[in-house]
Amino acid sequence: MLEPSLDLYGETYERVDAILSDLLVKCHARYALIVDRKGFVLVHQRAVWAPKPPSLDSLATLIASNHSANVAIAQLFGEAAFRETVQQGTDVGTYVEELGPEALLVTVFDGTAALGKIKLFTKQAVERLRTLLDQERGPPPPLDLDEGWSDDNAKLFDGLFTKRTQP
Amino acid sequence: MSTINFATREINFKLVYYGPGLSGKTTNLKQIYEHVPGDSKGEMVSLQTEDERTLFFDFLPLDLGKVNGFKTRFHLYTVPGQVFYNSSRRLILRGVDGIVFVADSAPNRLRANAESLRNLRENLDEYNLRLGEVPYVIQVNKRDLPDALPLDMIQAVLDPSRRVPLFEAVAAEFRGVVEPLKSVSKLVLEKLAQKA
Repeated sequence: MLEPSLDLYGETYERVDAILSDLLVKCHARYALIVDRKGFVLVHQRAVWAPKPPSLDSLATLIASNHSANVAIAQLFGEAAFRETVQQGTDVGTYVEELGPEALLVTVFDGTAALGKIKLFTKQAVERLRTLLDQERGPPPPLDLDEGWSDDNAKLFDGLFTKRTQP
Repeated sequence: MSTINFATREINFKLVYYGPGLSGKTTNLKQIYEHVPGDSKGEMVSLQTEDERTLFFDFLPLDLGKVNGFKTRFHLYTVPGQVFYNSSRRLILRGVDGIVFVADSAPNRLRANAESLRNLRENLDEYNLRLGEVPYVIQVNKRDLPDALPLDMIQAVLDPSRRVPLFEAVAAEFRGVVEPLKSVSKLVLEKLAQKA
């Protein structure tokens, strides 16, 4: 199985971005992210009033891994997956919905938001996103990775470990 | 398969350190974290047991920089090496782009090395992947052990056809840590460049 990927670009990306912004306003959430199943952030939005988020790389990786583990737990009981993944702390919570086989929609909220609203509007956002993503899209833009691309990256890689020793 | 984000112009790769328990996978990531400057790395996340054994995974994001307008990023993961954490290992392999197999040089770990490699093959099979299709290299760690097995013996067990790049290492001293990472990174970059 090759991992299905969700390529977002151009107008589709703008519209996805707008749906996430709308979600934040409607349910008064702090952040909304789309992460792929491998744990990479594809799109993210932050409410204007929200504090700076933690590392999005760490958040996305932990959400995706946690979701995979939850699916595995569900399958131990003969379920395809658990229907909802909600985590609530004293101040902050996360709500995760599957966005097809490729990605997850994550809503991060705090005590100023009602969980019912978070669930309702996140589910609605998933439907809107799915409709948008199911529409026929053109091919992704060309990558233009010329022959020197991997060589140039290799040079950057060398630089990664020599920066510290430079005066 | 790499994740390409056309909107943010990022190309992301997932590299996994695999190998038997206590072979030094987490040590590799800790050393990389220590030696990469702050602006090129993110937070390192470790999900460990109380006795500091990997429970689920360690995670370290690295930013290489921009080439042709695209930022290249590597997400490094380790798997838990202990035999009974196989479900976790399988989950971490999802979407893997490259693998560093960390072998242990201790004489009593030769069988564990072989079993871990077999386990890697089986877990990749769950995703319909073959080891030969995924870029991978072998790091033979703990070469400073006084009774370390000869390299040829370890290679004969793990890669009898001698096709896989192999590196000696003492990861705890940051020796032989960069080379396997660089080698597997080059392989995954070349693989994408060929496809593009």
